[in-house]
Amino acid sequence: MDVVEQLAGSVTIIEPRGRIDSATAKEFGDCLSKLLNAGRHQLVIDLHSITYISSAGFRQLLIAKRSTQDKNGKLAVCGVSGEVKRLFDIGAFGELLPIHPTREAGIASVQ
Amino acid sequence: MDDRCVETRIRNQIAEVESVAETVSQFCATHNLSNQLLVALGVSLDEALSNIIRYAYGDSRDHSILVRLDYEPGSVAAIVEDDGRAFNPLSAPPLDLAAPDRDRGFGIHFIKTLMDDVRYVRTDGINRLEMRKRIV
Repeated sequence: MDVVEQLAGSVTIIEPRGRIDSATAKEFGDCLSKLLNAGRHQLVIDLHSITYISSAGFRQLLIAKRSTQDKNGKLAVCGVSGEVKRLFDIGAFGELLPIHPTREAGIASVQ
Repeated sequence: MDDRCVETRIRNQIAEVESVAETVSQFCATHNLSNQLLVALGVSLDEALSNIIRYAYGDSRDHSILVRLDYEPGSVAAIVEDDGRAFNPLSAPPLDLAAPDRDRGFGIHFIKTLMDDVRYVRTDGINRLEMRKRIV
């Protein structure tokens, strides 16, 4: 897994690529917590370049969501389609994580 | 070698799961399997193996976990064998998706939902989990 970071004003966009599984979830979570600890509290996670995400990865997303709330920040998820969307549906994660149809909508939601 | 069956062994270290994900990816490419099958196999094996590595062993020794992928007409199977403590994932209670602050127990829920047939047997101190999915 690689993680590409981009800035859009005060918003940080994180685009992981590859698999977010038990072998890579910690690295993904560390990346998110480093951003939060560095004061980046408006995060958009774009998942359109991932192959899949397993429960270890979802756990990191939920941890990051709680951390952003604790810091009065906002976190949004976008780029969820196909099999990744199915994984979100199986775990009913759409109820726990705010999913947006486009990156732009995700950015707007955390500003 | 018959490429319908791929067998590998990993140690009980979470980083080793990555090599299984690579094996699954190659196996799916070899047999021209769909992205849906790749995701089902990849996620189910990740859940099964991470559960074993995290919870199955009461010691700090190295253990070997067997992973086998079988391609058969009409279906694929992922088989995992470990010598950890007896654990039947099928006996775990169903996940309550309405529960607040839920972030545990998803692994088995993913396996049961993504695969068409899941069987567990314990023989001579070995847990054997067989997860099968139809090719449609």
